[in-house]
Amino acid sequence: VRGKSAWLAAILLCPVTSAPLVAAPAIEKSVVRIVNHAQRPSWYTPWGGGATQWTTGSGFVIEGGLIMTNAHVVSDSRFLALFLYGDPNPHEGRVVVEGHDCDLALIRPVEPKLLDGVPALPIGGLPSLRSMVETYGYPSGGDQISSTQGVVSRIDRQLYAHSAADGHLAVQTDAAINPGNSGGPVVQEGKIVGVAFQNNKAMESVGFFIPTEVIRHFLADAKDGTYDGYPDLAVRTASLENPAARRLAGMQEGESGVRVDWIAPDSSADGWLRTGDILLRIEGQPIANDGSVASGELRLPFGLLVDRRQIGEKLPARILREGTRKDLDIPLKGYPENLRYSNQYDRRPRYYVYAGLVFVPLDREMVKTFGDDWMSDANSELVYELLFRPQGEPALLKKERVVLLRRLDSPVNANIPFFKNILVDKVNGRTIDSLEDLVRAVEENRAPYHVFEFGYFGRVAVLDRAAADKANAQILKDYGVAKDRNL
Amino acid sequence: VRTLACLALSALATPALAAPAPRVSFESQVVVLVVTTQDYDEWRPWEKKTPETRTVQAVIVDGSLIATTADLVENATVIFVEKHGRPLREPARIVHVDADANLALLTVDKPGYFADLKPAVLAPSMPTEGQVSTVRWRSGQLEISASRISRIEVETSYLGSLEHASLIVETDLSGGGWSEPLFADGRLIGLTFAQDEKSATVTPVDILRAFLESARTPGGYREFANLDLSWEVNRDPALTRSLGLEGEPRGILVTRVPWGSSACGALLPRDILLGLDGHAIDAAGNYEHRRYGQLKFTQIVVDGHHAGDVIPGEVLRDGKKLPVKLTLRPARSAHDLVPVRTGGAAPPYVIEGGLVFRELDGEFLRTWGKDWEKKAPPFLMTSYDLFRTTQTPARRRVILLAYVLPSAYNLGYGNLETLPVERINGRDIDSIADVDEAFRHPEGDFHRIVFEANPVRAEVVLDAATLEKATQEILDEYQIPERRRLRETPLPDLGEACPDRPASPGPP
Repeated sequence: VRGKSAWLAAILLCPVTSAPLVAAPAIEKSVVRIVNHAQRPSWYTPWGGGATQWTTGSGFVIEGGLIMTNAHVVSDSRFLALFLYGDPNPHEGRVVVEGHDCDLALIRPVEPKLLDGVPALPIGGLPSLRSMVETYGYPSGGDQISSTQGVVSRIDRQLYAHSAADGHLAVQTDAAINPGNSGGPVVQEGKIVGVAFQNNKAMESVGFFIPTEVIRHFLADAKDGTYDGYPDLAVRTASLENPAARRLAGMQEGESGVRVDWIAPDSSADGWLRTGDILLRIEGQPIANDGSVASGELRLPFGLLVDRRQIGEKLPARILREGTRKDLDIPLKGYPENLRYSNQYDRRPRYYVYAGLVFVPLDREMVKTFGDDWMSDANSELVYELLFRPQGEPALLKKERVVLLRRLDSPVNANIPFFKNILVDKVNGRTIDSLEDLVRAVEENRAPYHVFEFGYFGRVAVLDRAAADKANAQILKDYGVAKDRNL
Repeated sequence: VRTLACLALSALATPALAAPAPRVSFESQVVVLVVTTQDYDEWRPWEKKTPETRTVQAVIVDGSLIATTADLVENATVIFVEKHGRPLREPARIVHVDADANLALLTVDKPGYFADLKPAVLAPSMPTEGQVSTVRWRSGQLEISASRISRIEVETSYLGSLEHASLIVETDLSGGGWSEPLFADGRLIGLTFAQDEKSATVTPVDILRAFLESARTPGGYREFANLDLSWEVNRDPALTRSLGLEGEPRGILVTRVPWGSSACGALLPRDILLGLDGHAIDAAGNYEHRRYGQLKFTQIVVDGHHAGDVIPGEVLRDGKKLPVKLTLRPARSAHDLVPVRTGGAAPPYVIEGGLVFRELDGEFLRTWGKDWEKKAPPFLMTSYDLFRTTQTPARRRVILLAYVLPSAYNLGYGNLETLPVERINGRDIDSIADVDEAFRHPEGDFHRIVFEANPVRAEVVLDAATLEKATQEILDEYQIPERRRLRETPLPDLGEACPDRPASPGPP
């Protein structure tokens, strides 16, 4: 595969014209070109190693002999080559920590003294709207460093495309986007104000960088060597712009807030908030009826205040419940159940193959086997079960749904009428709430048949157990499945 | 003039030997209908869309009756007949429609209109092979195109409800599918109702004859029966053995029995249906039709039967063979929780405080255009796919907040759309009439609209005291003549809920 530049790239190519800034040469020295030789597994052929490819991105040296970049620049890496400014030789790097929810990563060169003498870039604050920022990186179109300038045009919450399931603060500039800029520093007055990371194909001349509050959050979290991720209140709230809705909730004139509509089980909010509660304030800040809070010169979604906390900290909140106002200190947790909605990196797909039937968990990677338009192209039962059914039955988020992904054809399974992209409800009479449940239900069965019951349409498939057991090894061999499972 | 010459020939024609069919002139049997239709605007159901006029074919089937497919006269504002290819138009009126069978009968009230027309002779059955003629009027000329029988297949009708054997022909006629009659040996064998490139699907004479006979029945129209069963093929020996069936796989596996269906009360999920009305059903779900060969077994209940008939069947249930009796019930277009089509019925709706409520149905979903199945909101589409046929006594329709006509009164709700309503003011909502009624009973000072679980919003709250005034102002502002349209005909009574298996049998 011809190398591709990392796919969420950023930042306007706008050559620095007249007087270069004093700090510029020092900054260039600290910018690193990163070539990632990656191998990404296929969730359709989950037992395989996956295709290899290489991508290029950028990074920069920070304190502690580390290089900061985007998680998407280094994800699924098998070998990382680092190129320092003015040094034509590649140096091997290793990922120290990755935050896929915030698209940041730290790399350490294998050679201990490699970064000695390379200045670490200091980390600054949030740039003002309309102020100028400079970007540095190695975008496609050449091997030399490239520097650009742009205006800070918007500061808002954005979906982080790397995970596709997390939203955090991001800064928009009027920069054009060039693949390969990803992970490069965005600088103002000699200090880092962000990490270039993504664009928006629906908009022209728009690039986004990760602001320092997200960078600092990541660094604080990763200080102990492991990254735990963001805390998540894991609630859905509804705006209360309509005065009747506020009156019904018992809110006073001038009081504002949002109504809690849905709470994820075992989340930070579970046990502290109830559906129907009105969230009036968090962190002492009044929440407006549209769910925004004041933050300096900006109004931001209140969830960004939760973002500023770490897992294990407490979130001060004021609620209105059945006419009573209460102050709570909600202990914050992550919500790993949400990983099912994220793109997956640096992990092997989970699967189980038995008698040629390939079983996998229902998650975003599974439905992505239908392509990017999976929401309209995937079977309805998969989309409904993944996205919509938990809205009415939140407890489902504590369980794992299992899908019969496909069939490796063999005489023993050839007569099964339904054999792909179908939800497994029960196996041999046992309800299946995880891939492990399914394996046990198959392996512990002593009856003459395996009975698979599928969701929604009363469908059923049966295997002769003795024949299936007998054929199993040969099917694995014929189809080149080295291991029958990864649980 | 060709028409006159043909008429003359027709008059001279004599029956050909013993062959039952005379060489007839199609000119006196086939007529043109000029139909002006006007569909409802599904998003503004108080309005109708721009009228459309189209020219379709029809056939004389009785002294003074004209048959065509029902979908073509759906929502007709006016229908004219042209005979003998001449542009002289006479108004026609609909006498009888069976939307599920997709057939309509019309007549012309002008005395003597049918004097120079001649009913087509109905063939006793469809031919199963060979060449037939597709006939239509075009620019005053009779166009007779060769069509070749391709196959006979059991398909669902236009409304997506009635299943019956249809004839598939490969035709030389271009742009057909508009109720062109087909003839074999001078006898009518069916009317086209769809054409894709060169392949046309034909409502067969068997259905047409049964429709005509039933329409003429003095005691009232007897509806076609439909099985409405979810089932799967049963060709897996492991599956059939596990269910206790000896010998080769045969019969079909019943998977879901919808309420109100012919199977309701007689069949249970996990039954193997081995035979019906004396016909053995094979593992692929086919039976041997006396004339047409292998056909899908659902045809059995259409063939010579009507709704109300009781037919015997045989099932394998829990390892034992059992006789069953099925009381046949009509096709299900109105029996679905989310009907595919409504046959041109005026969409019921109600507007309260600018909130527009309507039923979820295929007519609404198709407003998302040609690729509506991909483009309609996934939340609606997945529900449609999964729960379309799962009407229950407690849940007969999905009522949507379709969208909001924004105003100061409904501030904050202006961007809500396509949310399914569960309760209003504490009352369960299962029809537009329920919505209308619920808004007459506010909860104290408020109206509370609670939605079924969805990814957007749980509830809408409105002020009760100002609802009337606000609604009137919104109706005026948006120029809406009527606040509500309730269902014109009530939903049919589908009887008791179907018994399910007592408990899951677990692994055999």
